[in-house]
Amino acid sequence: MASLGSFLLLTAFVVCSYTVVASVVGARRRSRRLIESGIGAFYLIAALMTVASGVIVNAFLTNDFTIKYVAHYSDSVQPLFYKLTSYWGGLDGSIMFWVFLLSIFGSIAVYVNRERYRELIPYVVAVIATVQAFFLFLMVVHNNPFTTFLTATPPDGEGLNPLLQNYWMVIHPPSLYIGLVGMTVPYAFGMAALFTGHLDDSWLRAVRRWTMFAWLFLSFGLMLGMIWAYEELGWGGYWGWDPVENAALLPWFTATAFLHSVMVQERRSMLRVWNVTLVILTFFLTIFGTFMTRSGVVQSVHAFGDDPALARLFIIFMVTILTVSFGFVIYRLPLLRARNDLDSWLSREAAFLVNNWILLFCAFFILFATMFPTLSEAIAGERLTVGPPFFNQWMLPIGLLLLLLTGIGPLLAWRKSTIRNLRDSFLWPTVAALTTAGVFTALGFRVWVSGLCFALCAFVTGTVVQEFWRGGNVRRRATGTDLFTAIVGLVGRNKRRYGGYIVHLGIVLIFFGFAGEGFKQEQQVLLKPGEQTTLGHFSVRYDRLTIRDDGQKQMTTAFVTVFEDGRQIATMYPAKWAFHKHEDEPPTTEVAIRRSIAEDLYIVLAAYDAATQAASFQMFINPLVNWIWLGFGIMALGTGIALLPERALAFAMERMPGEAAATTAALLLAVLLGAAPLAAQQHTGESDIAPILPRNEIEKSLGERMVCLCGGCGKEPIGTCTCGYAAGIRREIAKFVDEGMTEDEIIQHYITELGGQQILGTPLNQGIGRLAWLFPYLLGASGAFVVGFAAVRWSRRSEKPRAGEQPQEDADLSERLDDELRNLD
Amino acid sequence: MTHRYIKIGATVLVLALAFSGLLWSTLSEGAEYYKHVDEVMTSPEQWHGKPMQLHGFVVPGSILVNPNTLEYQFKVENNGHVVNASYQGIMPDTFKNEAEVVLKGRLTPGGFHTDPNGVMAKCPSKYEPAKKVG
Repeated sequence: MASLGSFLLLTAFVVCSYTVVASVVGARRRSRRLIESGIGAFYLIAALMTVASGVIVNAFLTNDFTIKYVAHYSDSVQPLFYKLTSYWGGLDGSIMFWVFLLSIFGSIAVYVNRERYRELIPYVVAVIATVQAFFLFLMVVHNNPFTTFLTATPPDGEGLNPLLQNYWMVIHPPSLYIGLVGMTVPYAFGMAALFTGHLDDSWLRAVRRWTMFAWLFLSFGLMLGMIWAYEELGWGGYWGWDPVENAALLPWFTATAFLHSVMVQERRSMLRVWNVTLVILTFFLTIFGTFMTRSGVVQSVHAFGDDPALARLFIIFMVTILTVSFGFVIYRLPLLRARNDLDSWLSREAAFLVNNWILLFCAFFILFATMFPTLSEAIAGERLTVGPPFFNQWMLPIGLLLLLLTGIGPLLAWRKSTIRNLRDSFLWPTVAALTTAGVFTALGFRVWVSGLCFALCAFVTGTVVQEFWRGGNVRRRATGTDLFTAIVGLVGRNKRRYGGYIVHLGIVLIFFGFAGEGFKQEQQVLLKPGEQTTLGHFSVRYDRLTIRDDGQKQMTTAFVTVFEDGRQIATMYPAKWAFHKHEDEPPTTEVAIRRSIAEDLYIVLAAYDAATQAASFQMFINPLVNWIWLGFGIMALGTGIALLPERALAFAMERMPGEAAATTAALLLAVLLGAAPLAAQQHTGESDIAPILPRNEIEKSLGERMVCLCGGCGKEPIGTCTCGYAAGIRREIAKFVDEGMTEDEIIQHYITELGGQQILGTPLNQGIGRLAWLFPYLLGASGAFVVGFAAVRWSRRSEKPRAGEQPQEDADLSERLDDELRNLD
Repeated sequence: MTHRYIKIGATVLVLALAFSGLLWSTLSEGAEYYKHVDEVMTSPEQWHGKPMQLHGFVVPGSILVNPNTLEYQFKVENNGHVVNASYQGIMPDTFKNEAEVVLKGRLTPGGFHTDPNGVMAKCPSKYEPAKKVG
């Protein structure tokens, strides 16, 4: 099997090389056949990578420990779920996964756009295939995941690092990779436009959606990483300015900048060089991030591989990217000249420009600070480092400035704002900001940074609400419906604009959560059973320590009772798990978090003495943290709206009466918004839902085999989950056992009741159950297919009679809207 | 046209100068030396009081805990040079005998004084190079 995998990678590399040559030569000679052949070969790479992925996944599933990669990142007792995800658990596999995703996305992008951007496509194919070829080359010569042991094969694998055996960590890398890999597509289109000289604004249209899509996944990946750090690492925070985190954040800044400046080019045909530069930089930073985290160039407390050979290859590749890309930008400068000048600094384009500079500055600042140890060593010969305080010192004011611009930008008119516009637009948001600042001061809070942040949050919220209110009223008068339907219609008519405002609302919530950091409280304490300590308005009593073993790991759990104003409010179970396979590694920290919308109580069992039962705890009160996750949800919702094909909502509207559409949208929103706090609440841990000791073998076994389905706790085993849902299931199981049912009968009962095997942590290994693990992948694949199909349909439809007419109408409407808004008194 | 370029140039220059100035001043406060134990302990006097991150390995059997407190005393060595270190607070799980650690703090004549939360032990990352097995 391993040789098949190696062979597939080698073949993919050869096909890649052919694709590049065929596409470029085909485009130069205008040979339709060569170009088509190049495209065909391009799809073939995706097919080859899919099969190769199948081979490695199969190797993990069948415990093929002859393959070094499998032996290193998996073992025979690992749950099926983690066996699969070990695919991207290590360096070699993650590179392969990268190429796999790139080949899939590249193929979709080429398939969707092959008719509309006929001149660009051969070069798009060539650029993406070159990037693929680089990574395939890395694998073939240096990091082949299919390398086998030459001599003795180990009887069992070493197992995935326990820290990574976490639900969030499973979905975090794919999401981040989708984001990072997705940025290659805009780069390929940008480069194709530069190569061909077709530098009108049409290439932007092709990449806008892709960038937004990739940006969404990048944001989502960053957030999942934050949640993972918060829940699993147990240091009480979510962002530590670690080089690995920074590496993923860098392209996020440039991509965000691009999503804004692209609007200026569309509306005003300005910033054309700037946009190409941003696309190139974003792509470059994704590669640079990969380089930084995998080659050992930046030293961090995280032990990244120190691999000079890999570093050299990456450096050659990066230098090539920069030289070729910017070489072409300079060569094409005459074609990229702006068609308009900046009329006034009091205009929306100027605000966008400033926002771009700041975002870019963020990227470069973080790059500089992350590389500072390496730089200082190279220049001064002295290794100096900068820590999180340095990052915070800079990023705090910059972040606040960005937040302010988030509010100001949309209020300014294109071209030039008059004093009257300014007064009209800024009055209410400013009032909101000042009121918030006043209330904040009156309540006696004295953290001025947080206060400023709250005021700015109010300001931005004010602007967004005002935009919706005014736009909704204009439309209400025009269409004669109620305000709510009018607002839904407004969003439907101008999805990018209003989707963008919703994204801004998400940003506001995230900043709101960040501001909570200013009120963080921390305590480190050593307690004996029965002793009590106070943190903020909570009293925390340490009751006892239990040590249990479930075969895979030894679990040491502390029972902690929390009181608020003398009233018992919760029992919490901070724990430490020592995995048997990883005895040389430290036990993992299982943080106990009592979530609420206002603040999290976060308790870590830091150390314990089994003999005396004395335990040391680290406790935090983290105010407003959950607003960050909620903000990301809103951001995703807004991006989703902006991403909808132009006609998706209109199509629905035609067939639905206005009220029905409005109600549906409202319901959907309510469900989406309600889900997050609900899920969080279910996992708070009430007093009667402590994990109880199983009374017999059946209960013990079921407690391990079944997982919690409440949705809030990432499928913890029923036996150890501390949420109300799990407690209920445990009671039910106890009842069934008392009634004399066997283990299989109980499982069968749940399968029938739930209509599937979802309650089982690992699907039953029989019949259809074997296919169960395929389900998420099938779902993902069919989702991608549906999206792709819709995109194709949409692109074809808009090409025919509506080609010039549809966007025109939209632009007209928004122009009219802008005018009417300006005249509003 | 030239007038405009002068204006743009001047703005960029002023901004760049302001930023470099700010960067310089914050860096001189925020930067810490990153040193290995042997680099520092050859002439410890010149490092007294300077903020630094000290890289080394915990000497086996040197970890002492004051009972019922969170006060730690231990020794860190690198290439034969040893320094006494003290710390008060919660130790990371990864801190143990022979662990590779980075301590944040200041060197004093009495030993290395570690800041609160200043112990960073190398933590396992998934991007470690594959161990040479077999």
